[in-house]
Amino acid sequence: MKIARLFIAGLALAGLTAAASAGTLDEITKRGELRVAVQTQGPPFSLVGANGERTGSSVELAELMAKEMGVKIKFLDFDWDGLIPALLSGKADLLVADMTPTLARGMKVAFTTPYMYTGSTVFTKADSKFKTTEDCKAKGTKIAVLLGATGEKEAKTAFPDADIKSYKGGGPLLLDAVNNGQADCGVNDVSAVKGQSTAYPAGSFTIMPDLLSKEPLAFATRYDEPDLLVWMNLFLNQVTIDGRLQKNLDYWVNSDAWKKDH
Amino acid sequence: MLENFSFRTIVEYLPLFGQGLVTTVWLSAISFVGALIVGIVLCAMGLQRGWLFRAPAKAYIDAVRATPLLAQLYFLYFGLPRLGFVLPELVVGILALSLNSGAYIAEIIRAGILSIPRGQVEASVASGMTYVQRMRLVVLPQAFKVTIPPLLGQAIVLVKDSALLSLISVAELTRAGQLLASDRFMPAEGFLTIAAFYLLLYYGLKGLAVVSGRWLGTAGARA
Repeated sequence: MKIARLFIAGLALAGLTAAASAGTLDEITKRGELRVAVQTQGPPFSLVGANGERTGSSVELAELMAKEMGVKIKFLDFDWDGLIPALLSGKADLLVADMTPTLARGMKVAFTTPYMYTGSTVFTKADSKFKTTEDCKAKGTKIAVLLGATGEKEAKTAFPDADIKSYKGGGPLLLDAVNNGQADCGVNDVSAVKGQSTAYPAGSFTIMPDLLSKEPLAFATRYDEPDLLVWMNLFLNQVTIDGRLQKNLDYWVNSDAWKKDH
Repeated sequence: MLENFSFRTIVEYLPLFGQGLVTTVWLSAISFVGALIVGIVLCAMGLQRGWLFRAPAKAYIDAVRATPLLAQLYFLYFGLPRLGFVLPELVVGILALSLNSGAYIAEIIRAGILSIPRGQVEASVASGMTYVQRMRLVVLPQAFKVTIPPLLGQAIVLVKDSALLSLISVAELTRAGQLLASDRFMPAEGFLTIAAFYLLLYYGLKGLAVVSGRWLGTAGARA
């Protein structure tokens, strides 16, 4: 009798310990909320729509994740260079942005398998004397980049004699700086530049056809959240198979169909 | 806690911090001189009897004190170009700091001048001094002593405010910290190091306040 009771108590205790060491997915389910770090840097990945709603390609994918998890979603907004620190400090469960899984970033955070490919491009004001990527190599050319973005390093490599000006914040600041003449050229992800230039009159910018790099895009979690990473990969695999990913990218990234709705 | 702290990376980034520190120092110094000029002009306008000079000075001081420096800076950098004025970031930075700090300095100088007992002014009027003589010989020398400590206090505020210039791509001290934070994802190392450098600048200015206090004979001078 006594032994049986002890045995049951022991089982209960084992059960408790198992629950205590459960992963992030259990934590999210219990909390009923998925906390996602984003940067509202503008279309097509993350923007505030015409009705003040937060939307965009990455945002919709994150919402789809929360829906599949059966939990609510909470977006936390950070500057580009604040995204990884926010994830690392535990403020968010995962981050969705048009982020390239570089080897340096991979030393800190765990990336999913890439879900799309893009690259950095050079853009100038349409009436600028800088017509090609080659022109921007001239000594002292002022090149606007985003602090902490891959474009920052690519610009330093591609334009060693240029004056690199790094801005803290979102991609639209780069377009603004180039449009205002505070910078001659800008370097950023081609999908981002195309999406964000829609805020200006058509033909305001020249976007160079050649890419400085080929860049995969992926979402990220922490290394101490292996269960969440496995689940996110499963999610990306699933939405690839059933076509929801392609639908998302066709709507947001490969066309400007979203413009009439947001 | 400290086992996660990389001193090695800080040492590696020291040249960058050094350049940032130099930029912060000279930027702040020029801006402070600019702020003094703006402040003196505004104060002189504010002390006039007629509203023609007094009203705009008062309106300017109120407008500056009511709005965040960040908003002023963004207006000058991102807003003015839309109105047709494109200025380089260093010019915008110095302008923003001078125009902002100048409003506070105007109030400091005004308080200094008004702190001179009314009786002294009346006595100098009674002894037949002109306005200029009264200012030069009686009011300003005393007001100068009173204003030095709060002016140095304002200089310390200005140095800290210069951190905002990192947001318009000026490579100053805070930007160096941001670079370390974003390149290596080490915000603790980056921001603690710049905090140490700002502390150094603070003690430098405080020391200046003590020395100038002794030199001026205002023993209890505090910045």
